[in-house]
Amino acid sequence: MALGAHLADWLGPIMVLAVLAGLFSGYPVAFVLGGVSLAFAVLGVWTGYFDWPYLLALADRTFGVLQNPILLAIPFFILMGTLLQRSRLAEDLLTTIGALFGGMRGGLAIAVVGVGALLAAATGVVGASVVAMGTISLPVMLRAGYSPRLSAGVITAAGSLGQLIPPSVVLIVLGDQLGVSVGALFGAALVPGVLLAGAFALTVVVIAWRRPEAAPALPEAERPADLGALARQVAKVLVPPLLLIVVVLGSIFLGIATPTEAGALGAVGAALLAAANRRLRVETVREAARDTARLTTMVVVLLLGSTAFALVFRGLYGDVWIEEILTGLPGGVIGFLIVANLAVFVLGFVIDFFEIAFIVVPLLAPAAAAVGVDLVWFGVMLGLNLQTSFLTPPFGFALFYLRGVAPPEVKTTDIYRGVIPFVIVQVLALAAFVAFSGVLG
Amino acid sequence: MDRVSGAVGSAVSWALVGMTLAGAAAAILRYLARPLGLAPALNALGDVQWMLFAAVVILGASWALRDDGHVRVDVAAQRFSPRTRAWIDLTGHLLLLLPFCGFLLWALWPAVAQSVALREAALDPGGLARWPIKVLVLGAVGLLAMQGLAQAARAVLVLRSPRLGDAVDPTTEADVPEADLPVAP
Repeated sequence: MALGAHLADWLGPIMVLAVLAGLFSGYPVAFVLGGVSLAFAVLGVWTGYFDWPYLLALADRTFGVLQNPILLAIPFFILMGTLLQRSRLAEDLLTTIGALFGGMRGGLAIAVVGVGALLAAATGVVGASVVAMGTISLPVMLRAGYSPRLSAGVITAAGSLGQLIPPSVVLIVLGDQLGVSVGALFGAALVPGVLLAGAFALTVVVIAWRRPEAAPALPEAERPADLGALARQVAKVLVPPLLLIVVVLGSIFLGIATPTEAGALGAVGAALLAAANRRLRVETVREAARDTARLTTMVVVLLLGSTAFALVFRGLYGDVWIEEILTGLPGGVIGFLIVANLAVFVLGFVIDFFEIAFIVVPLLAPAAAAVGVDLVWFGVMLGLNLQTSFLTPPFGFALFYLRGVAPPEVKTTDIYRGVIPFVIVQVLALAAFVAFSGVLG
Repeated sequence: MDRVSGAVGSAVSWALVGMTLAGAAAAILRYLARPLGLAPALNALGDVQWMLFAAVVILGASWALRDDGHVRVDVAAQRFSPRTRAWIDLTGHLLLLLPFCGFLLWALWPAVAQSVALREAALDPGGLARWPIKVLVLGAVGLLAMQGLAQAARAVLVLRSPRLGDAVDPTTEADVPEADLPVAP
């Protein structure tokens, strides 16, 4: 009996190990969470931690997730992004910005950073944005004579910018999990995100200056001869999507619309833009809606699984265990931030953002609040950290996604070595953020 | 079973378009509602949004299961053989997914039954009846369980076929009778 009671105290930690084992088997994450939770619920009832009626709360939680007005913003923003992609407006955007900067060495690469910052923001799922950026811009860059290394590096870096720059889906989910306002998170992430995009562009300039052959200017023949035509193209292709994003974000920051409302209007706006360019076909809408439904389902089903996990884990006092470990670290806030960052960074190698947001963040958040870390800044820091993790060879997710769409002449080592300067910029940005943002309170 | 999930998937995509339109309409209406006395319509639109959202997500779950759209951690799994992966899927469906669906059904049942018995509706003026969506959620969990069975059957086919599993055609090999399922290992 004494042994039984002793073992029961370890149910929380064992549950975490069981989930990790399940994750690595490759079985869908949402159902690993749900199934393992059920097994430990049985153990929990058996060892007297809680009764079956405690688990009936799952019904309320499930309906709560499905009625959550914050999560409702996710499909809206994803639809806005997929509409812009499927109607090929994103592609136009790249070629236009490319033409604008084309005369400059490295101009096309800077254009990629710009488009990444603008568009990936609307999709906000690393896989989707890196794949989109890769299919659109990699062939264009290689044709223009850019080195595969620089092309691969800048595309993965720009594609993962969407984590941070609002209206990123990542931030919506983090806001929900941390219990802070999505508008506040958007506001806090905007400046670091834009600065980071600037730092990427600067990196490109430096590379183009040191190794001119890696980033040639477009040849005279391919530059638009007529400046008036270029200006008209810019006005037609570049300004409307930019305006759409500014209006959507502006209305959130000014408090005119909730993120959910702004997202819905943004999606309709994207459809109208496509229509204005005669690109809105039933087929386009259907494909965009399908992509969106798929992504949304994936995210929310995962959340349902992790809801069951959280309920049972809490019933086993696992949350108390984690909080005690995290708040008892030597070095107080600094110690906590270092451990939290390292944990998230390493986990980012193997699990995607949403698993981290739904499983790890709820465990970190109470401890962060307890040691006095501002949760809004904490959220932005996590976004920045994960972005670094996704870019870091050899495990970074973004690198695998690009590998999937890159032609064979771009070698895997090109991708790994190309991304290194950007990873260095990222790490510096993360350090600077922790030092200056006020996350330390 | 596969076809049912596929059809549901298409319906879900269009529901999403409807949801977006309702969302946009609600956003605009919020500013017009008070002066025009349209508050009830606004509440109804709000309800329509989350109900469609709930429908999309919960019905999309089985559709995604069929198309292998749920996130997996494949760092290790991509090195496994198709047979190993089929074993993992089979074990997972039988030991994780199906019990979890059963658990959800068990947990949801009293709440849904009560909702239906009371003919639950939103309290705000103009709010819509709530009990149908709860029934739908319950039904969708059932659908997920059925698709789980179909997937388990597919994994068995992979394990039985002499060569690699890719040869199994998802449209013709579905709906294997449950009797063919082995006892859970």
